[in-house]
Amino acid sequence: MTILKTEDLKKYYVSGDNTVKALDGVSLSVEDGEFVAVVGTSGSGKSTLLHMLGGLDRPTEGRVFVADKDIFSLKDEELTIFRRRKIGFVFQSFNLVPTLSVYENVTLPIELDGNSIDEKHIDSIIETLGLSERVNNLPSQLSGGQQQRAAIARALASKPAIILADEPTGNLDSRTSQDVLGLLKVTCRKYSQTMVMITHNEEIAQTADRMIRIEDGRIVSEH
Amino acid sequence: MQTVIIIILICIVIALIIALIAVRLRTKSILDSVDKMLDEAIDNTFSEAHFSEEQLSRIESKMYRYITKGMTSKLRISEEKDRIQTLISDISHQTKTPIANIMIYSELLAEEKLSDSARNLALQIEEQTEKLSFLISSLVKTSRLENGIVSVHPKENSVKALLDEIHLENAAAEKNIALTIENDTDITAIFDIKWTLEALVNIIDNAIKYTPAGGQVRVNVTEYEMFARIDISDTGIGISEDEIPRIFQRFYRSPEVGDKSGVGIGLFLARKIISDENGYIKVTSEKENGSVFSVFLPRK
Repeated sequence: MTILKTEDLKKYYVSGDNTVKALDGVSLSVEDGEFVAVVGTSGSGKSTLLHMLGGLDRPTEGRVFVADKDIFSLKDEELTIFRRRKIGFVFQSFNLVPTLSVYENVTLPIELDGNSIDEKHIDSIIETLGLSERVNNLPSQLSGGQQQRAAIARALASKPAIILADEPTGNLDSRTSQDVLGLLKVTCRKYSQTMVMITHNEEIAQTADRMIRIEDGRIVSEH
Repeated sequence: MQTVIIIILICIVIALIIALIAVRLRTKSILDSVDKMLDEAIDNTFSEAHFSEEQLSRIESKMYRYITKGMTSKLRISEEKDRIQTLISDISHQTKTPIANIMIYSELLAEEKLSDSARNLALQIEEQTEKLSFLISSLVKTSRLENGIVSVHPKENSVKALLDEIHLENAAAEKNIALTIENDTDITAIFDIKWTLEALVNIIDNAIKYTPAGGQVRVNVTEYEMFARIDISDTGIGISEDEIPRIFQRFYRSPEVGDKSGVGIGLFLARKIISDENGYIKVTSEKENGSVFSVFLPRK
């Protein structure tokens, strides 16, 4: 089943006479449970693509379907709720709330949605990510790798349709990166979670099931 | 007169408010029961609680029907699985003896006084039989793992103990390849030693097979917080980037290695085993410059 699909996605930035084509007709599809890496140098359009996929920014042209829903047909308010329920984000800078414990950070999106917490699921995620002894710590008491693991746990907690990861190891040393990537891969498989990861690093992209290379706003290769 | 009208109006307003609150409460109670029904359905504890003329009761009945329908098809799938299991055991059992016999006969045949070309044919028969035997045993193992008939039992084990079980010196020496296993490690990881050994042997076997004589195959271990990494590096022919995802597919054989013996099941089985242990395999390779297969085993 296709869980994420883009159709001829374009994003142009116009300033004066100049038009910058950040995305120039990107069509791709991601199957349920797949782990896909999008690689490209900085300025290739990969971050713009991620923003479109996550509904953080509207395209100039083209459509994005998440779980068969054309996300840009939604009103802004609906889109916010859709994003909270269907999309998990993992950022380079972790984005944990500094005043909340690891456990509170992980369950925050569920609480925001007014849902009851599936404790079994949360415990299993926390254990898989090796955070069992850290649940009551504040983010500042964790190493970088542990903070990113907490962010992954948070993304998984609400069982989203898809997780979008933007340079998830960008702030980590190569040793810790390997751990974080491994856990992304293993947890995605364990919870049948679909994931799209953006990176400039070929070696990191090798961890994924499939690699999409993007240059100058276009897909140049896919395997 | 005016006061009467005002009193009546106030009464109407109050009545409306009460009615509104009643509707709200009623809707909330209905939504709550539906929510509870769904929770029970998710937990597999759903049963019909009320039998009445209410619509809610009818919805309950419908939901019960929907759930039981799903259960029936689940049951059918499990019966199907049992049949596959029997078929697999039959195949593995029934082919064992004939294959062993062909092996013996071809060995006996090679001991006879034969012309060079006839001896060559006898050796070919032996080689192909070995391949067939490996193929069948690997197929049986993968389908057993895939159908959950056997499963890996990961527990805390020493990585050194695993590496010490690898005995491929002869296969390497036969091809004049230097096999180094750096087993000087005291780390532990969570894995099933028997199955993981099978996976590692398959990968190392491949490394030896696709490395030209005089080359090297090295096995070493790196420790991470969450994973133990076992690298198998060779100085072999390498794999092109677009081919890497395909080498783990069942029966995939690179067109470039058509002359080498192999059936394309070893890596498929290796990946299945490592995945089942909550680990993963990563490949980095460069054409002509060799490949590195990294097996990551969880430590927690």
